[in-house]
Amino acid sequence: MPAGSPVIEDAPRRAAVQLDGVTKKFGGSVALHEAWLKIPSGEFMTLLGPSGCGKTTLLNLVAGFLDTDGGEIFIDGTLVTETPAHKREIGIVFQNYALFPHMDVAKNIGYGLRMRGVPKAEIARRVEQALALVKLTGYADRRPRQLSGGQQQRVALARALVIRPKVLLLDEPFSALDKNLRGSMQVELKEIQRELGVTTIFVTHDQGEALSMSDRIAVMSAGRIRQIATPDEIYRRPADRFVASFVGDVNVLKARLGSRQSSEAVATVGGIPVIVPAGPLNDVASGAAIDLFVRPEHIQLAPAGEAGTLRGTVSTHIFQGGHVDVYVEAPALSRDRILVRLPGVDAITRWPVGGQVGLRFGTTDLTAFPVEGDPA
Amino acid sequence: MRQPLPQRLLGISGKLLIAAILGFIILPAVVVTIAAFNSKAILTFPPSAYSFRWFERAVSYGDFKKGFQAGLTVTLWASTIALVVGAAFAFAINRYQFKFKRALEGLLLSPLIVPHFTIGLGLLMLAAQTGLPRGYPLIVFCHVVLVLPFVMRCAYISLQNLDTRLELAAASLGASPLKILLTVTLPLLVPGLVSGWLFAAILSFNEFTASLFVTTQATQTLPVAMYNYVREYADPTLAALSVIYIVVTAVLLSLANAYLGLGKVLNVEQGR
Amino acid sequence: MTRRPFLGWFVSPAGLVALGLAAALAAVFQYSLRAYIPGSLDVGGFTLGNFADLLKPIYGSAFLQTVALCFETAVITLLLGYPLAYALVRTRNKALKSVILIIAVTPLFLGEVVRTYSWMIVLGNNGFINSVLMGLGLIQKPVQFMFTSFGVVVALVHVTLPVMVIMLAAALSHIDRDYEKAAESLGAGPIRAFLTVTLPLSMPGIIAGVTTAFAWTFSAFATPQLIGGGRVNTISTLVYQLGFASFNFPFAATLSVAGLALTLVVLALLKRVMRPLEKLGEH
Repeated sequence: MPAGSPVIEDAPRRAAVQLDGVTKKFGGSVALHEAWLKIPSGEFMTLLGPSGCGKTTLLNLVAGFLDTDGGEIFIDGTLVTETPAHKREIGIVFQNYALFPHMDVAKNIGYGLRMRGVPKAEIARRVEQALALVKLTGYADRRPRQLSGGQQQRVALARALVIRPKVLLLDEPFSALDKNLRGSMQVELKEIQRELGVTTIFVTHDQGEALSMSDRIAVMSAGRIRQIATPDEIYRRPADRFVASFVGDVNVLKARLGSRQSSEAVATVGGIPVIVPAGPLNDVASGAAIDLFVRPEHIQLAPAGEAGTLRGTVSTHIFQGGHVDVYVEAPALSRDRILVRLPGVDAITRWPVGGQVGLRFGTTDLTAFPVEGDPA
Repeated sequence: MRQPLPQRLLGISGKLLIAAILGFIILPAVVVTIAAFNSKAILTFPPSAYSFRWFERAVSYGDFKKGFQAGLTVTLWASTIALVVGAAFAFAINRYQFKFKRALEGLLLSPLIVPHFTIGLGLLMLAAQTGLPRGYPLIVFCHVVLVLPFVMRCAYISLQNLDTRLELAAASLGASPLKILLTVTLPLLVPGLVSGWLFAAILSFNEFTASLFVTTQATQTLPVAMYNYVREYADPTLAALSVIYIVVTAVLLSLANAYLGLGKVLNVEQGR
Repeated sequence: MTRRPFLGWFVSPAGLVALGLAAALAAVFQYSLRAYIPGSLDVGGFTLGNFADLLKPIYGSAFLQTVALCFETAVITLLLGYPLAYALVRTRNKALKSVILIIAVTPLFLGEVVRTYSWMIVLGNNGFINSVLMGLGLIQKPVQFMFTSFGVVVALVHVTLPVMVIMLAAALSHIDRDYEKAAESLGAGPIRAFLTVTLPLSMPGIIAGVTTAFAWTFSAFATPQLIGGGRVNTISTLVYQLGFASFNFPFAATLSVAGLALTLVVLALLKRVMRPLEKLGEH
């Protein structure tokens, strides 16, 4: 799927958020280049990319904190490009939660309702409901600084949700939490999101978070959306080199393009043929050098010299708890050491450091791209 | 852990040095306090007898009473106006780009460098040429100009320490710019603004050099009245008044320190 | 955000104040170019004669004396202020911190008249220091402090010390204590660590402090007037005498303009001289 073009033409539901060629410049540099994005109602959409890729800029444009330099933004079918932030009906949870330090929890959560002139009794009722939703009943009169990081995040979430926003924006909400808490908050947030069915845009640089939580992911780099797809597709069918190497671990091997059919091509790595999608290789001549991208779990180890395998030397093991990462040197295949991910501890004893091994590649889920520097 | 001898000597001499410098700072206050209780009109050390008579004279002396009232009037107006003008301008400086921003900021901060006597002289001449009376408005304006840099600094530091995401959060929750200002920005700036006002008030109340130029016999502020007194009399009345000054100022600053955190306001503390 | 709510409301009052200040400064410039009519408060036509009068020896020596006073005061203030600021920032004892802060800062808010008067009592011939020294039999007749530039410098140092401490402490508080620890862990003694790490990093504060001390001393009037007693002439005392004793406002304005120019030149030079030092702090 070519980058930067409208996608999901057959969206079953109405788009809750739609960006039509939205561009943002800071001074001379383009922070966001013609972003096209359609998010159906109720979807959990993740903007994934390294810092400076434009994902936060995109979020701020949807929120109305920044003005666009081109393109249009629609929320719930309504054009909001010129609408100020406070009239856009969005909820947002910031990285540092941005709880008002001079208000207690109930005042924080009720703030948006007070701004809307909701009667006092109803505010109290809805704040109570929101507190129950995030499991903080009884915390109404605490001050934000008396709460733990996880509790502060729940308050921030309740504050954003209580106004029944048309879209919920999450700006790296887990990055301030420690690792254990992060996992449970992710599950909880996903549950609440599904229960309320609120359209959500989630910004993160953590590909693990993106893969585990999203309905779809938009991978971004250098101000452009590189691919919009489901987590599974992003992982198994990355659209370009950047997506392939940013999402998940990947080995880049030297290979050659063989024959090409309509949608599939045959590549050879160390003389062994493998099947890859032909799309990214349209401009590559048969017989030219290409880079083969192989996930570490799609390589198996076999005794050296076994038929259909390529030779390498084990250089290091890293024990990872549930699995073992084995690094194999094979200068003919790759400049870097090749990472092989094997389940079970016995891999350490079975493939000792310094030993010769055979590398066998799976036949599915391989992708190949033109060699770096060639036009993509 | 026991430190080696040279380091301990360094530590001890450092402490003595600090004590000596603090002593230098306190010395005049101590001496003036002793002098204030001297019962004789001519100062001697140590005083041969003690009394409160100079305190009584200090608070009943007509020029001081008038000077106090005039000074207080000027101070309340000047520090309040400076607070409003300075805080609003600091907000604009902190948030927006606009024409002549740097020039305007530079001009308003210039009283930190331009001598007070030059500003006083300039306002005096301006009044003379335009026919403006040398009344309270002129003195108040003069004080606003002089204390504005301090108010701006206090407000600016508070604004820098304010997390702008709080305002964005408020906007996302439906608060209009005016509502954000009233419900989020201002309440969070209050400590900084209160200390800015307090600094402005203390500085204005004590301002002397420029006031000497722009006040008249009828509008002279307390420092001007004190200056005129010390040129005419040598008795310890002024010592008594100085003691009152020192005590009131120290109490105000201690309160400011306890309630507002003087260190934070002056930006001399780690951590924001 | 490109939206700028309240911009006009927030800037225009400050703009009005700036306008008034600019008008006042313009008035000084304008007067400095006017002829003096003795015995009258009105001024004559435009002339450059006032600036020619600046070349008279009495004014030259006043300028020199003022600059010398400012330099001495700034340097001594720096030497006294640095240890105090360092102690203020580095002490972990909260009560001690508050005490140092209050003592160091209170004089800033006392005003020139109170402080100068206090120093007159300390330094006078019948004052505290002379009484103590004579009482101890160390001297037979009083040492002359009043009406000397030494006395003026002592009192001026006292005036500028608080602001110096505040500026140095602000700079020092932003230097992580870990830099010193790192230097010490690398084998530098505490003095070496201070000289090679903390001192260079605090250069911006030193420059700000010295600059402000210089400008304040230049602006001081009550101290040189009362402690100098007419024997220590500075620009400020001359401006006052010209204005209020002989009503020669044009020449008072000329002296002010020249003084302002001198301040700006000296501060620019100071910045230039200290810039290489400031670079030390950028590593």
